[in-house]
Amino acid sequence: MTKLGRQIGIGPTDNTSDQRTPRQRLRLIPERVRDSFVPVVPARAVTRQHEWDMTRIAPDMPRADGEAIEVTGTLRTESGRPLRGALLEIWNANHYGRYRHIEDHSGLKLDDNFFGMGRVLTDDEGRYRFWTISPGAYLARPDIGRWRPKHIHLSISGGSSRLITQMYFPDEPNNATDPMAVLMGDGFERNIGKSYTTPETDVAQGFQFDIVVGGRNATYFE
Amino acid sequence: MNDEQRANALLPTNEDTCGPYFPIYFGDDSLEDLTRIHPGVVAGPSGQHLILRGRVLDRHGSLANGVVMEFWQANAKGLYRTPATEGHADIDPWFHGYGRLRSRGGDYTFRTIMPGASEGRAPNITVTLFSDGINRIVTQMFFAGHPANDSDPLLQALESEDRPRLMATRDGTAEDGAEIYRFDIIMAGDNETPFFDDLES
Ligand SMILES: [Fe+3]
Repeated sequence: MTKLGRQIGIGPTDNTSDQRTPRQRLRLIPERVRDSFVPVVPARAVTRQHEWDMTRIAPDMPRADGEAIEVTGTLRTESGRPLRGALLEIWNANHYGRYRHIEDHSGLKLDDNFFGMGRVLTDDEGRYRFWTISPGAYLARPDIGRWRPKHIHLSISGGSSRLITQMYFPDEPNNATDPMAVLMGDGFERNIGKSYTTPETDVAQGFQFDIVVGGRNATYFE
Repeated sequence: MNDEQRANALLPTNEDTCGPYFPIYFGDDSLEDLTRIHPGVVAGPSGQHLILRGRVLDRHGSLANGVVMEFWQANAKGLYRTPATEGHADIDPWFHGYGRLRSRGGDYTFRTIMPGASEGRAPNITVTLFSDGINRIVTQMFFAGHPANDSDPLLQALESEDRPRLMATRDGTAEDGAEIYRFDIIMAGDNETPFFDDLES
């Protein structure tokens, strides 16, 4: 008999989740082959100098529409070790809720001054910082009126640490009905950025989003 | 982690779906073809070239568009490049073993080399999927007909009907000599691909 692990939940009201979520329980991995399941992502310095500032397409270009915000935080493993030189790939919708992605057919407004994709590396203390435009919420299910709450996508890779997540915003009306937030339960709090007043005059406010990469993968080669 | 470390551990950030709009912009040719170093450089990994291709299907048998696939494998001598194998004589300086692509319309093609057999294992490639609607899921694929499959501890731990679902099948040879293998992934429903729990294992 195969030893079984978690049953993955299906995000309520999410059609894609219904189509793509495995119905069978995950199989546990036998101890002696466990390490073969841990990818080690080679260090990739693919960031460009100005990518940390997503509020403009380039330094000499105008500001995009909407509220400019700063997002900062630290990246650590569950044991508290900072993850240095990890790559954060960031993408978010523009002020109107539209992505500059060839498959976004929402018809919402594109902003000529917003690209919406950026990459940064963590420093020696595991800290990161970027600027972007506060994303618009978008209607994910027009038939039932369900919105995706404002969110910023983050993909983190470095060594054996790998995480794709989203940062949400405090006190947003659509947070409670988001299918993936529902699956997170009380833990959803950890995926909400904490608002702070930034001394920067170029951005309206800051959000602190400390990221902890969990699971054995994150600490496998510690 | 021991019990004390576990008690003091930070609570992890939740994984979340990557959504439908993982930026194609973040794509990197050198991660979609591990045999290609740079067109201007005479170098390349050792081993038989391999083209792994297939489809990613959803519960209704439809192509699952926009899936981010990551691959992890040993080099031709069966050695993984990890912090633990740094400096090992069998490390291939031209091969790191990590690939990534975003499936176009549900089809994928990944170019690499045939992984060698690691100690006690059949040759295999770990495949991680990120997609709209789900968080990360992982599996491992094998090569149909390889004699070591019969004694592989992961395959042996599976029910017999699950084993063929992890087999890539030979589909000819490319003009440049690369062996072509097909491996379809069924994310949900009938004939579902077995996925593994790398958090609780
Ligand atoms: Fe999104």
